[in-house]
Amino acid sequence: MSYTPVQLLENWILRQASDAGQAWLGSQREAVTTGDLKSLYMAFGFAPRKIGKADLELTERDLGDAAEARPGWMPHSWTIDQAARVLLLISLPSEDDAAFQASLEKLFQTAEIREQVCLYQALQLLPHQELFDDRLSEGIRTNIKSIFESIAHDNPLPMELMSEHAWNQMILKALFIGVALDPIEGLDRRVNPELARMLIDFAHERRAAKRPIPVELWRVAAPFADEIALEDMKALYASGELLEKSAIALALVATASDEADVILKTNPDIAKRAESGELTWREIAQQAY
Amino acid sequence: MKFIDPHIHVTSRTTDDYEAMAKAGVAAIIEPAFWLGQPRTHVGSFQDYFSSLVGFEKFRAAQFGIRHYCTIGLNSKEANNEALAEEVMEIMPLFLAKENVVAVGEIGFDDMTALEEKYLRIQLEMAKEVDLPVLIHTPHRNKKQGTYRSMDIIEEHEIPPHLVVIDHNNEETCEEVLRRGYWAAFTIYPKTKMGNERMVEVVKKYGPERIIVDSSADWGVSDPLAVPKTGNLMLERGVPEEHVELTCYKNALAAYGQSGQFEESDWLTPEPIDQRTLFEGNSVLRGGQDPRVDKPEDDRIIQ
Repeated sequence: MSYTPVQLLENWILRQASDAGQAWLGSQREAVTTGDLKSLYMAFGFAPRKIGKADLELTERDLGDAAEARPGWMPHSWTIDQAARVLLLISLPSEDDAAFQASLEKLFQTAEIREQVCLYQALQLLPHQELFDDRLSEGIRTNIKSIFESIAHDNPLPMELMSEHAWNQMILKALFIGVALDPIEGLDRRVNPELARMLIDFAHERRAAKRPIPVELWRVAAPFADEIALEDMKALYASGELLEKSAIALALVATASDEADVILKTNPDIAKRAESGELTWREIAQQAY
Repeated sequence: MKFIDPHIHVTSRTTDDYEAMAKAGVAAIIEPAFWLGQPRTHVGSFQDYFSSLVGFEKFRAAQFGIRHYCTIGLNSKEANNEALAEEVMEIMPLFLAKENVVAVGEIGFDDMTALEEKYLRIQLEMAKEVDLPVLIHTPHRNKKQGTYRSMDIIEEHEIPPHLVVIDHNNEETCEEVLRRGYWAAFTIYPKTKMGNERMVEVVKKYGPERIIVDSSADWGVSDPLAVPKTGNLMLERGVPEEHVELTCYKNALAAYGQSGQFEESDWLTPEPIDQRTLFEGNSVLRGGQDPRVDKPEDDRIIQ
């Protein structure tokens, strides 16, 4: 049987929270349901004190239920206060979309770091998500990594809502500030020629500065690799570190072009490992960061 | 020795200051919301200022290995703009529950006007509602009267003195503040409030109980190392080490620890690296504190 996100969050909190914490959350949700903004704002702030900050203890089955309830929802790193805060937000009346958006914007504008992380992850479960695409673009301008990751990682909204320009900026900035690409939902689906061009330019900048090129870059640049990019990949495939060679091989295998095959043949051992599925982007990302 | 500076306005300090503070042993700091030198004309200026205290500044301090906490309040000078003060009261509930907020403050008197008193009282009630300690700013002028009047009002609101820090004391005010059971804080601020040689004498005379040393360093000519410098001067001049620990560390911990948001374990055993939370970036940058790692061979070169 399938559940709604609200039912899942309630169940998970029920399993872990104290009786006092649950009673507190129940009464706060009731107040918020009436549209009482002061209660929402105070309860949103006090949630960790009242209900704790423990990690949600989720099983594989819970994660499966989550993905069924809301495709793309991956709450494996959520905490109990985060779950409580999201339930409070879902309780807010939302018939008037402009008022709903304004109330939430007030929270965004005054949120501290952990609250921002929670809000950006919460949006995927809230009504009127389409009103928050500018908010997502604003969020990725942050210089705080954990906030950036709350938007970029394990979050279906960028893939669903962001314009191509904002999406491309997010991918480039992730590489720029050392945030992994692999946990970005829809990464391979939203590749585009403009992004590939930006990434190749970035790779050249890094090379000129004698700095390493992030290995995940090739995953996104390869599908639209022009001659210059292929030359870059060929050179790195011959002289790079093992992790770079592995990334190039995976990227080239995915493009399935004649030029790619020619390059792959220059190091058949690694090519074979890439083709067989022995190498994965997940492992490469884990080793890279 | 580790120090806490429980009253410093780091928003107006540089990263060099943070580096020097960490090197001198400052482990945790509290930044009370105060005025910025020129009056704010819109509530949005307060909102963004409060946001920086509970968010970005906490993050920035952590990058230098310093735990940052704050207090939230409408200061006495700006309480005199009634229309604005009303709007600030409306946004305070958005901030009082934030995780690094350890008190309502700094609130109190500047000119001792009726409006200053009005917003002092409203904020004392807010502190009761959210169960937080209070940090009281005492005025530069008419200090003795302002200090006594503040305590009278706190007593009218039935807030117990152990929940209240009275700051910017001097030799004239501290006896009465201590007698009434409050925490008595002293600001080591060059030329104006308190020098650290005078501070040594105060601790020798009154003992270390409920006395707190801070710097209030801000955008004026002030010293972000005032607490460690004073602690070290106390040791040099024969104040017992445990008294230095009380006045420069433990008393502040006890006073603001009553918020439930200010615990020694926060800085003695920092959270493990966790990619979801805010200190992930910090764990990388903390390595940057070691000059042998990051400092270029030739410091004319910027890599």
